[in-house]
Amino acid sequence: MAGGFGQADWFGVGLVKPIESSARRRQQTCSTGENPKLSVRGRTDLATKSSPKPNAPEVPGGGFLRRLASGVSLTAEAGIEWTIRLCGWSAILFVFAIFFFVLREGAPVLFGELDLVEFFTSTHWQPTSLVRPRYGALALMVGTLSVTGLAMLLAVPVGLGAAVYISEFCQGKVKETLKIVIELLAAIPSVVWGFIGLMVMGPLLMDLTGAEVGVNLLTGGVILALMSVPVIVSVGEDALKAVPDSYREAALALGASRWEIVYRVLFPAAKNGLLAAVLLGVGRAVGETMAVLMATGHAVQIPYSLLDPIRTLTATIAAELGEAVKGGTHYRVLFVIGLLLFAISFVVNLTADVIVKGIKGESRN
Amino acid sequence: MAELRYCLAWKRPDGSFQPGETFASFAEAATALSAWQPQSHSGALSTQEPCCTDQVEIWCSCQDEPATVLSRPRYSFVVYGTVAGGGGDGSEAAPWWGLQEAITGLVELERSGQLALRHGQRLRLCHREVFATSAGQKRKARAENIAKTVFMAMALMLVAPVLAILVYLLVKGWPALSLSFFLENPRERMTAGGIWAPLVGTFFLVFISLLLAAPVGILAGVYLNEYARDNWLTRIINLAVVNLAGVPSIVHALFGVGVIMFFAELRRNYGIWVPFEDRCLLAASCTLAVMTLPVIITSTREALASVPMSFREACWNMGATRWQTIRTIVLPNSISGILTGVILQVSRAAGETAPILLTGAVFSVPVPDHGWRAFVPYGLHDRCMALSMHLYTISTQVVNVPEHVEYGTAVVLIGLVLAVNSASIALRVYLRSRKKW
Repeated sequence: MAGGFGQADWFGVGLVKPIESSARRRQQTCSTGENPKLSVRGRTDLATKSSPKPNAPEVPGGGFLRRLASGVSLTAEAGIEWTIRLCGWSAILFVFAIFFFVLREGAPVLFGELDLVEFFTSTHWQPTSLVRPRYGALALMVGTLSVTGLAMLLAVPVGLGAAVYISEFCQGKVKETLKIVIELLAAIPSVVWGFIGLMVMGPLLMDLTGAEVGVNLLTGGVILALMSVPVIVSVGEDALKAVPDSYREAALALGASRWEIVYRVLFPAAKNGLLAAVLLGVGRAVGETMAVLMATGHAVQIPYSLLDPIRTLTATIAAELGEAVKGGTHYRVLFVIGLLLFAISFVVNLTADVIVKGIKGESRN
Repeated sequence: MAELRYCLAWKRPDGSFQPGETFASFAEAATALSAWQPQSHSGALSTQEPCCTDQVEIWCSCQDEPATVLSRPRYSFVVYGTVAGGGGDGSEAAPWWGLQEAITGLVELERSGQLALRHGQRLRLCHREVFATSAGQKRKARAENIAKTVFMAMALMLVAPVLAILVYLLVKGWPALSLSFFLENPRERMTAGGIWAPLVGTFFLVFISLLLAAPVGILAGVYLNEYARDNWLTRIINLAVVNLAGVPSIVHALFGVGVIMFFAELRRNYGIWVPFEDRCLLAASCTLAVMTLPVIITSTREALASVPMSFREACWNMGATRWQTIRTIVLPNSISGILTGVILQVSRAAGETAPILLTGAVFSVPVPDHGWRAFVPYGLHDRCMALSMHLYTISTQVVNVPEHVEYGTAVVLIGLVLAVNSASIALRVYLRSRKKW
């Protein structure tokens, strides 16, 4: 099950790279080597790509048609290989395309009329004002930051704790069950989370705290925490699993208890992976749209208490792009916000990736 | 300066100390300890200090002053009292082996000045069974239990609220769930009727996005696992996959909108054929396909990586090319693993709202109730409804929607997604159980 189905990466994060580079190298040498050109079960289409060689054995009964068929299949195979290559490169293509098309829509105001100082320092977000539209996104950024921060405050301890529990303290059926539950938790759509925040947690919070509105920073934070915890748990668990067993055995031989192993050995050894887990959780929380759109109250303001409603960058795009005039300034400013989000997620993912690669390099040495 | 007196105090079964003989010097008192016969099982004591079954103390007092005893002994040593031998330093971690060793040790300590009892101070010597758990070990075990409980509580904190919420949703939505709820279109500004139109819309969106994403994703996985060498290009592709998975869903939506605008411009200015030029089902499906591509790529890769290298080697030795090997050996052996990834993509695509919100899904479309058009209500270039979008609409945009309809829709959506996911998990578990290699 090593690297197999058991640890399917449910978030498409792909941090855990299958270890087969050496295998692949073998494959290279093997397939480029001088294979004797044999036909398998007499089928001509099984001849290799580079078959037009003088010393290739004659295909029995090879007439014109047969040679034609073989030629066609070789061309087809080259075509297939190129299709596969293109598909492999498609991920790069799409990332660039996303950047390009979002930039293309946002560029006219980004390099033109948008006052970047106002954008980053003003809290006046009045895009539809007839007198003087203003595009100060500070309150939105603070909104995103505060709700993400709150979510991380709740999610990181719980997520890492759960990762440690799953990885170190339980086994067998319990472990499998917990992992499946976490997977299912990750699968719940964000709009359902938003609905839960709006219809269940909001009213509950109003009853408990006497807040004026149920949808606010706290509700959004709790919902986001529940949404980003699965990422933290699964990446964190991978990080703990990547610590060699010899570390645990050495600690056990010195008389350490399991708790001592966890916080004296595993935490220091896996700290990069755990940091990456947290970062990916942050990435998920920053980029979340529907849940925060529905559960944070949608008020452009800097929050001063946990029970203040807020609005985030993502929610602003989702709520306003539909109504904004196509090609207008407001419309393009929303694309600039999108660009900002893209940049944030890019940096977060890149950092997480570099950190993880860092551990892999160390553990190999 | 009054003379100091040293008094041996023996432990009584009830826990108090019984002062015994008095000596003029510490060494004499220590030597007199050899008369001690430690009790192995003393019930009253074991509750106080779990590692010690018996104790003896040396009390120090001035000759002419009444002995006042402090609450805590100044020094405390541990000895394995019932064995002979040598070694140890009397500490908690390494007790003296044998009484004789303890006496020698105490005398030695006193002579070297490391041990100086003053008036009113006490020295305690604890007897411990050789294989008894020490206090340190007990502390450790306690810490471990606490840690385990705390971690378990954290894991449960994830499970419990989710179960509670699911049950709550189900209870609230139960009155709405009937066959007609599934088969009727929304009526009366979405306040009545069922969810047929959004359900069909979600089906179409997911199906088309699957048609687009599955071939590209699977081939990309094949490329990464079978063709790519370990070089900078592969590293960049990996990074791109990770980033594509991490891009916020709303940015995918912006990407979709940007492409629509670009196509519309192409069409308007140059008259070139474009797949779509306005918000429509196809545009939304394409956006979903791009968004879910990394899911398929990653799981395909993992499925392929689990096929043993020897299978491929055997096939190459038969003279097959790389593509023939992939087609006849690698793909058939990993097809079910790939399938779990594809199923996962379906659940991801069915639940997403933000990307389709701006690229093709709308609040409401008039949909025919009867005839074959009820089953194919949307063309590729029509706007469509979707279940996730419908839930968003009826819970935030439309007033006076009966509560059970909202909860019913949420239950159907979550049920759909979880069912698809469970199918994927079940398939995975089944495969692992019957794996041949």
